[in-house]
Amino acid sequence: MIAPPRLSTILLAATTVLVAVLLYSPLFVPIVSSFFPVARGEVDWSSPTVETYVALAGNDEILSALRTTLVVGFCTVVLSVVGGTLLALYYHGRRAGRSALQFIIFLPFLMPPIISGLALLIFFREIGLERSLLTVVIGHTAFVLAIVYRTVLTRLQSMSRTLVEASYDLGATKWQTFWRIILPNLSSAMVGGAILAFALSFDETMITILVTGTQTTLPVRLWAMMRLGFSPDINALVALILMFTVLLCALAARFLVPRQIATQRA
Amino acid sequence: MSSSGLARPAAIRWSPLVTVLAFALPVMFVLAPLAIFLVYSFFSVDQGQIVYAPTLANYVRFFTDPVFLPVFWRTIVLCLSVAAISILLAYPAAYFLTTLRGRWRYALLMLLMVPLLMSYVIKIYAIRSILGLNGFLNKALVGLGILSEPSTLFVFNMNAILLTLTLLLIPFAILPIFLALERIPQVLLRASDDLGASSLQTFLRITLPLSLPGVASAASFVFVLAIGDFLTPQMVGGISGFTFGRILYSQFGTAYNWPFGAALSVALAVVVIVAILLGERFGRNRGASL
Repeated sequence: MIAPPRLSTILLAATTVLVAVLLYSPLFVPIVSSFFPVARGEVDWSSPTVETYVALAGNDEILSALRTTLVVGFCTVVLSVVGGTLLALYYHGRRAGRSALQFIIFLPFLMPPIISGLALLIFFREIGLERSLLTVVIGHTAFVLAIVYRTVLTRLQSMSRTLVEASYDLGATKWQTFWRIILPNLSSAMVGGAILAFALSFDETMITILVTGTQTTLPVRLWAMMRLGFSPDINALVALILMFTVLLCALAARFLVPRQIATQRA
Repeated sequence: MSSSGLARPAAIRWSPLVTVLAFALPVMFVLAPLAIFLVYSFFSVDQGQIVYAPTLANYVRFFTDPVFLPVFWRTIVLCLSVAAISILLAYPAAYFLTTLRGRWRYALLMLLMVPLLMSYVIKIYAIRSILGLNGFLNKALVGLGILSEPSTLFVFNMNAILLTLTLLLIPFAILPIFLALERIPQVLLRASDDLGASSLQTFLRITLPLSLPGVASAASFVFVLAIGDFLTPQMVGGISGFTFGRILYSQFGTAYNWPFGAALSVALAVVVIVAILLGERFGRNRGASL
């Protein structure tokens, strides 16, 4: 890009800094308060502490919500990766009914979560399914399925057809071709999709509020606690979760960015 | 396109069971709930019991009752404002990113996307504490002498919802604008320069028009996410910040009128679909292809 004159560069850079400050200020509040005592909006910088992290280890309510979130996330990932991959394989190269079904799969992702959640709430009531973790997992899976499906389908479409043809030429059966050629080529897309699915499930709040039973996930637990204000150990948890998610997404990026050398060799 | 090579493995003799599942599961867990929801909007409630007889009463009520339409329009205006402010902030930032080279460009882009990973609920809570009476914003404004004393102007009202949603959604505006700007062929800018245009002229007549599809996508993303959000208005809106999403939700709680709530959801869904279609229509990058 042709270098703009200096004043405009300075203004652009200043706006970018402003945006970064705006975006990061809500992140710093809990992280700073996890290490320093805060009273009436004043941070006491003089006495850093890790007490909040110690207190967190004893907060059973939060830890059990975290466990529930992980269980829900795990089930959601398994269901959405298996379902999304199968659907991608099934619809790939197929014309009849594909665009209509693709549209259906994308609906929960496009619709506001309050609508998806309420629709599921009424649906579960109509079919007489008691609200529980099962209904939460169904809700999350419907929500994230589109992401896994899309990721795997994109990889399928970019896969060279010569690989499959070569496999057939060499006498492999359809199943052998599937297990030894197609699946290994899809695996990184599946892992990437799984990580994205987990991250979305981990933070999903609105659908969960509507379809959950007595056990709640972490975001819903936090949502309920917010009315009263958080205890300091929540800040410690938030700081840990932030570190964890950044790590997770760095991993997802690693799996989703095509590795050219690998494909060339294959 | 008789057969892309992979149509074949996809045709690993799928048993009828797989075919049934591939169609049945999405229909059952996505289409059926939404369809039932739609049907519910034509029912009514009598003394806490849902009456399963078709009626248009819910829609008539939505259009005629003096309460709902004003909130509906106010919410749409609010979310359009959120989209406008987000774009005003995101455009210069996205433009600045494209002036950087290689690694810096993507590192900074990642940096601006990372806040999306942070728990949504926690961010709302943190922003509320920043906007509050003892919050950082008031401290800064008082410290700068702009306000003489802390103000409650920024929390538990419509302003609070506007500010919070903007802070939460800016990254969704940066990304499409950045992608549109990045796709503008450099040769066009050089040609404009060679032909004697000033930087401002080049920006106004080449860069800006070619980046408008990105702006349209950004507006559509931010608007849809803002209008579908219930958590933010509920948490920072207080009593005066009443949005459409909150009225909708209250039909399933205190007001206990599921059919009417379903009708309100249909209205919301229509707005969302229109916004997505407009974003699609104007978000296509047509001009930039050489």
